[in-house]
Amino acid sequence: MHTRYNRNRREFLTDCFCGMGSVAFAAMTAQEQLRAAKFNPLAPKPPHEPAHAKAKSVIFLFMAGGPSHLETFDPKPLLNKLDGQKRPAEFGDVQYQNVNTASRILGTKRTFQKYGKSGIEISDLFPYQAEVADELCMIRSMHGDMVVHSAAQYQMMTGRVIPGFPAMGSWVVYGLGSEAENLPAYVVMPDSHGAQEAGVPMYTNGFLPSVYQPTMFRPGTKPVLNLDLPKGVSLDERRRSIRLLRDLNEAGMPGEDLEFAARMSAYDTAFKMQTEAPKVFDLSNEPKETLDLYGVGNPLTDDYGRRCLMARRMVENGVRFVTVVSGGGGPEAEWDAHNDIEDNHLRMASWTDKPVAALIKDLKRRGLLDSTIVLWGGEFGRSPESEKSKGRDHHNTGFSMWVAGGGFKGGTVYGATDDIGLKATVNPVHFRDLHTTLLYQLGLNQDALSFMHLGRKERLTEIRGEVIKDIIS
Amino acid sequence: MQKLFALLAVATLLFAAENGAPEKIAPLGVYKLAERAYWAFQPRNNAAPPVFATAIDKAWVKTPIDAFVLDGLKKAGLLPAPPASKATLIRRVTYDLTGLPPTPEELDAFLKDESPKAWENLVERLLASPRYGEQWGRHWLDVVRFAESDGYEYDMHRPDAYRFRDYVVNSFNDDKPYDQFIKEQLAGDEIDPNNETLMVASGFNRLGPLRKNAGNQNVASSRNEVLTEMTNVVGAGFLGVTVGCSRCHDHKFDPFRQSDYYRLQGFFAQTNENDLIRASAEEQAAWKAVVDPLTTELRRLQFSMRKATEEEKGKIQTQLDAIDEKMPPPMTAIYAVKNDPKKLSPVHTLFKGDYLQPVEAVGARPLGILLPENTPETPLDAEKPRTRLASWVADPANPLTARVMVNRVWQYHFGRGIVSTANDFGRMGAKPTHPELLDFLANKFVESGWRMKPIHRMILMSSAYRQASQSPAEKIGMEKDAEVSLLWKFPRRRLEAEEIRDSMLAVSGRLKGDIGGPSVLIPIDQDLVKMLKRPQYWVATKDKSQYDRRTLYMIYKRNLQLPFMGVFDAPDMQLSCSRREQSTHAPQALELLNGQLSNDLAQSFASRLMKEAKTDAERIDLAWRLAVGRAPTDKEKRLAASYLDEKPSDPLRLKEMALDVFNLNAFLYVN
Repeated sequence: MHTRYNRNRREFLTDCFCGMGSVAFAAMTAQEQLRAAKFNPLAPKPPHEPAHAKAKSVIFLFMAGGPSHLETFDPKPLLNKLDGQKRPAEFGDVQYQNVNTASRILGTKRTFQKYGKSGIEISDLFPYQAEVADELCMIRSMHGDMVVHSAAQYQMMTGRVIPGFPAMGSWVVYGLGSEAENLPAYVVMPDSHGAQEAGVPMYTNGFLPSVYQPTMFRPGTKPVLNLDLPKGVSLDERRRSIRLLRDLNEAGMPGEDLEFAARMSAYDTAFKMQTEAPKVFDLSNEPKETLDLYGVGNPLTDDYGRRCLMARRMVENGVRFVTVVSGGGGPEAEWDAHNDIEDNHLRMASWTDKPVAALIKDLKRRGLLDSTIVLWGGEFGRSPESEKSKGRDHHNTGFSMWVAGGGFKGGTVYGATDDIGLKATVNPVHFRDLHTTLLYQLGLNQDALSFMHLGRKERLTEIRGEVIKDIIS
Repeated sequence: MQKLFALLAVATLLFAAENGAPEKIAPLGVYKLAERAYWAFQPRNNAAPPVFATAIDKAWVKTPIDAFVLDGLKKAGLLPAPPASKATLIRRVTYDLTGLPPTPEELDAFLKDESPKAWENLVERLLASPRYGEQWGRHWLDVVRFAESDGYEYDMHRPDAYRFRDYVVNSFNDDKPYDQFIKEQLAGDEIDPNNETLMVASGFNRLGPLRKNAGNQNVASSRNEVLTEMTNVVGAGFLGVTVGCSRCHDHKFDPFRQSDYYRLQGFFAQTNENDLIRASAEEQAAWKAVVDPLTTELRRLQFSMRKATEEEKGKIQTQLDAIDEKMPPPMTAIYAVKNDPKKLSPVHTLFKGDYLQPVEAVGARPLGILLPENTPETPLDAEKPRTRLASWVADPANPLTARVMVNRVWQYHFGRGIVSTANDFGRMGAKPTHPELLDFLANKFVESGWRMKPIHRMILMSSAYRQASQSPAEKIGMEKDAEVSLLWKFPRRRLEAEEIRDSMLAVSGRLKGDIGGPSVLIPIDQDLVKMLKRPQYWVATKDKSQYDRRTLYMIYKRNLQLPFMGVFDAPDMQLSCSRREQSTHAPQALELLNGQLSNDLAQSFASRLMKEAKTDAERIDLAWRLAVGRAPTDKEKRLAASYLDEKPSDPLRLKEMALDVFNLNAFLYVN
């Protein structure tokens, strides 16, 4: 380990870590970067493969519960013809939760139209997303391994069907560090209706060090716990007591001590977060036009709109990974349309469609879309057969997700399901392929992004995924 | 019973006949000599401790451990650090063995004790303290991923899981022989189903996360997951090998064939849940009075569901959900296991680990690499399968078991194992830094009747343990051995999450020292509770005095880790945790500076200082002695005094100073 001993302690303390941003980082030698990374694991790190590092951050619009591909992005006219009939044998079989051999095909009430120059077909459920059709890279051949929520959500988020493994967001921050000095590197904005089946463990760092854990935002204007000073303590008073703390810690330091210096630097960062982060959380200085764009103020879209707008502000300030959850607390407030696909999806769409489209438009006009990957989708799609006559069951063998920005080809459709949307038949994309491609666009290599855990070099993709070259530019 | 087996055999044959051909049997693994020659699978050697010639060296070597350590240092051109001060030592060993700081009285007594046996007496006092079992039991609970809820969707609570926690704490306090500890956990129910303690111990086999899907669970898939959980922890916890990796394919680096994995699983084929109700007759009656009508209604609805039209099904489901919500928690019980041959799961090698794709049938057999070639498997329905497995694991000749455990003990004392990957002694794991020492300790462990305390003593009495955490040759040490794996000084460590909270409670005078019993749920932020699928399970314990108990007694819930715990690297209880990470980041600072827990306890700490000391100078002195285990230095005194002097009549200052003390390196780290 290389340590310079010719500086005095105070010099060491001030230049080693404090307030180190990307500029300071660039000026460091490779060895210094490594050393800094050891004691400041959030220091920005160069991507493994800079040549194709198109994106710097990711926003995942997580549609919890499993939105229907058949009502949104994957038109299947044959469904309406087969409505009420049994599934023709030639489509084969898949494993379901509730749908069984007695179940009947359910037609859709939605109508599809071609949008934009690209002519991507989108249903009338999403009139706003239709406006940004040319930005979307539509994957109609997603598939996963599990047909129940929790396991499917774990697989989508962590690559594994069981809890305990790090989520995408933790992996990405582990790989790239953070460029947000005053904000958490990885943020999850849960839905205030309640939790999803896989719970908080699907978002967390698993066995990665806790520095890579997500910050779970809370509803309201104070999303981050512990950013407020305790009751009765003024900022001046706190500034003074932190000075005492620093003086006491310095007095007790035996010499150059990287770990303790890193601790002191963490206190500086914490203090800055306390004063700077609330400014980022404060939406009141956004122009009315922008608030309207996201649907802030309209009771239907206010909640998701605020969170999408917040996501833009996060990315703008260097946050690496943001998950904005739509759905929680039970089937009726999630995309989990067991009972009535019409009723459920019209409601879920009315809450999210406008904000989702606004996010794309807003990122684009601010020049942020090129460096931001926006991912839309849930843990699975929904069954071609009906459940309880009007609903649709979970369905993991073929469904749709879309990606926008971050070097993905807008206005393209990739892959396809069969004529009733039962199975991904053309260019199937597994979650691990999606993960691999997201990492690739961030300049991360699925093999290099690994962590030794219990004797195994663990990675997000477990079994290697494929980079889907056809959807990236 | 025999009839039953005959029936089962017929059923198996019929099944096979229906599928056309008799089942294929997986061939036994074959192992190359080179695979068998790997160090960890070899018998332990019996190297004598190195001998030294010079008086200085001879004086440093206080236990055989020192001889091995000094030998390693000399070969690397390093020297040990000077001995640590007595104040440092008492704080180090008190945290090490109890997870709590020494009190000022304990500190003074030790500093005054000039007898040559002072250190030894201190070690003995701490090893005899019931706090020892709490601290070292907690380490074991990390390894076996102990938690008090199922995980997954509903994360149902296991209100009686505390019995297993107490069993572990008591086992450590009793210095239970480790071979016995292994047998009780793996097979307590087979040893004596009438012994409550043993039945509690057998709950070990149920510690993993459990996926329950209301109404529509896939039984075969869930059973497969349960068996996987039971099997993997044997590899990681007792054997220190990643045999779990061979679930989907032959192990890529170690000689574990896929068939080895499933043969290990074979020992659990008969293992099923067994809840032993412990509620009183009245409690049982009261419980039944609530549950029986609900169950009747449930059955009725499930029956009508079969004939229901599609429209009706939705309504019935809603009613079913409502009943589910009304169901009271299960009656108090011991979570044990039993062998149920009626529910024997046939075990097969599975293609890519997929339960839907069985390939070849297997019986039960321990890991082939540690058996003579062609050792036969035993039938899955043989009696007391887990006792046989446990006897093999706990056999003194098993080359892994003793090494793995003494390595864990070493790791918790020095922060890093002789094999730094404590759950992986395989080829992808780290090589031992002191192989002879590892074997020496393992031999001693077995010779001492598999008791932990003799090993603790040998380590604690060593010069290696009693070194300072700063070396005069720091620069050379860092250049040659930055990880301090050769122990050229004592490695400093940060307190673990539980230790930080427990210490703040102790220092502020609020720690409630009760031992054992049901776990405590503290009231927490509603926004956190809302992140649960079933928020209704979080019901704060009524008796508020319980909130100040040691963190070990707070509920360990899989889907709701207390923020304080998560931020300080507590494991998430989903997978075995062999060693906690130590990360440093801003949210830790925010938690300790602005968090409710630390501010609340700082207030209590300040009140205690006001009560127990008269002047600011005395308060500063007391604060340091309580929290840091020493008197403040002159500089620290000056800094703190001038801070208090600025606003002499403002009580906030003392509280903020108390909070600062909780944030000091000197408080959060052990030298």
